Amino acid sequence: MLRYTLRRVLEFIPTIFIAVTLIFVITRLVPGSPITALIGNQSVDAAKIDAMAQQLGLDRPVWEQYIEWLPRVVTGNFGQSMFFSAPVVDVILDRFPVTFSLTFLALIVTIAIGIPIGILSAMRRGGIFDYFGNVLSSLGMALPPFWLGFMLMLVFAVGLQWVPASGYRPIEFGFWNWFSRLLLPVAALSVSQIGLVVRMTRSTMIEVLGTEYVGMARTKGLRERTVILKHALRNAMIQIVTVIGLVFALGLGGSVIIENVFALPGLGELITTAAVRRDYPTLEGGIFYLTLVALAINLVVDLAYAYFNPRIRYS
Amino acid sequence: MMKSADATEVLPSPHARSGLWTLWSMMRSEPMLLGGGAVLLLLVLAAVLIPVVMAIDPLSINVTQKLLPPSPEHWLGTDEFGREVFDRLVIGAHLSLRVGFAATALTALVGITLGALSGQYRLADSIIGRFSDALMIFPGFVLAIMILAAIGPSEFNVVLAVVVLYVPRVIRTVRASIIEYRSADFVQAARAVGVGDMRLLVVHILPKSFGPVMVQLTFGFAWAILVEAGLSFLGLGPPPPDPSWGNMISAAREFIRTAPWIMIAPGLMITATVLSLNLIGDGLRDLLDPRLQSQVNP
Repeated sequence: MLRYTLRRVLEFIPTIFIAVTLIFVITRLVPGSPITALIGNQSVDAAKIDAMAQQLGLDRPVWEQYIEWLPRVVTGNFGQSMFFSAPVVDVILDRFPVTFSLTFLALIVTIAIGIPIGILSAMRRGGIFDYFGNVLSSLGMALPPFWLGFMLMLVFAVGLQWVPASGYRPIEFGFWNWFSRLLLPVAALSVSQIGLVVRMTRSTMIEVLGTEYVGMARTKGLRERTVILKHALRNAMIQIVTVIGLVFALGLGGSVIIENVFALPGLGELITTAAVRRDYPTLEGGIFYLTLVALAINLVVDLAYAYFNPRIRYS
Repeated sequence: MMKSADATEVLPSPHARSGLWTLWSMMRSEPMLLGGGAVLLLLVLAAVLIPVVMAIDPLSINVTQKLLPPSPEHWLGTDEFGREVFDRLVIGAHLSLRVGFAATALTALVGITLGALSGQYRLADSIIGRFSDALMIFPGFVLAIMILAAIGPSEFNVVLAVVVLYVPRVIRTVRASIIEYRSADFVQAARAVGVGDMRLLVVHILPKSFGPVMVQLTFGFAWAILVEAGLSFLGLGPPPPDPSWGNMISAAREFIRTAPWIMIAPGLMITATVLSLNLIGDGLRDLLDPRLQSQVNP
């Protein structure tokens, strides 16, 4: 297990390296554009533009910028945000709890609803429950999450007025103050994830139910209950658990747009506003940290999977 | 299991009937494919024919008629500039379908080419493999956000971003099927009678990947429409005043309390289009290979 862990952690390093390099290459596709974005419509003389370019290091050759940029970035330093006049790292750390609350709650909701429906669908394959599970999961995956967010807002915040429409309160302001503002975003984010988890759980479970050891358990004359709970479900769960990592990564990706809808001051909202304003240091930092968290979670899930399933370690 | 049994019974019939008839029998055995196909056909026909038979003007501003609810005169109501929501919806469909189609076609072209190269040549494989792995580590469509922030919002750039995000998946599929069939008996036989490497790849091996790639591209089409809508919503898509379903939703957010109809209609259109494409994808998958699993889009 130690060797496997080491190997996976070592594999993690080039991946991060490639990710930051890609971030660098993409954000510098159009040279000088951060300055154009910064000055906007103001009339600024050429000397000042040069000074800004120098300050941002944009006057030097790209590879030189890269050599200087890479070691800083690897240690998490993305420089000053162009709009917040604060270090990017501080801005990001400030916003992380919001994104974490949102994606973590959505993950719990997704698992609690998605996995049982998927298992039941597989057990009653072709039945009416399976049919409705299939229809609803297809629909759930087709709804644009941001639009669903607005529809929920329209019904539950504007119409019924059960919860506030948008904004965020830290949990220190009281549980309900925190929770009520997250209910709709979590629901909007969870729906498509639930659709996905239902389908993946269902197909995994169907696969397991078709294996020889399940057939054997049935042939032995075990009760259906025992076959499902003791033999099929246990083995299926090992694979289903890996879905958690996937859903968390999906949630982090989806939170970007949901935070924008509900004006949640999280990492995703930071990324989208930075993208529109072309605040490159903030954009680079935001995407780097978001990707890092997604990768780290996947690593943890992979290690957990290998721990429970020794065949993986030795292959 | 029932479904796949039906499908295999129907499949061997091309010798007996015409191609069109075979297609119809195949479609009939997959209600999802049929339903999804019908809805999509209806949407495309509506988008193409409505501007022909009706006077559609998505840009005409009429300040005396702004924010009116749906009525017999204004089928889906009017927006904050007094423009017809219905007209904008129809023209918005052009954009969504165009972006989806262009992105899918380009993804197919690039994905199949690069996939074939990586399946065939070891050096190409290690280079292309590294890049596609790197592109796939970013969660969701943050990579698309970053690309559009760098190269600026436009319809073509949205297509480009979708292709960059989706192409690694197609490359993997093509590569996997080439590796799977490279040592198959029929390939060995062809090689034995002196068929060259290139011809072997293009004529004998590559067509084997078309089924899985078709399924994947159908889901990719649906996903492209969702991404376009999302990017347009964030203000990174094709810029207003030209309507897209995404930027209609974006503009409508200010009026969600007073004029919710502006927002409801485009969202329903996106849902219907994506759902029909996903159903077609599911149907195709069941038809071609029931073992294939659900597609997981980024």
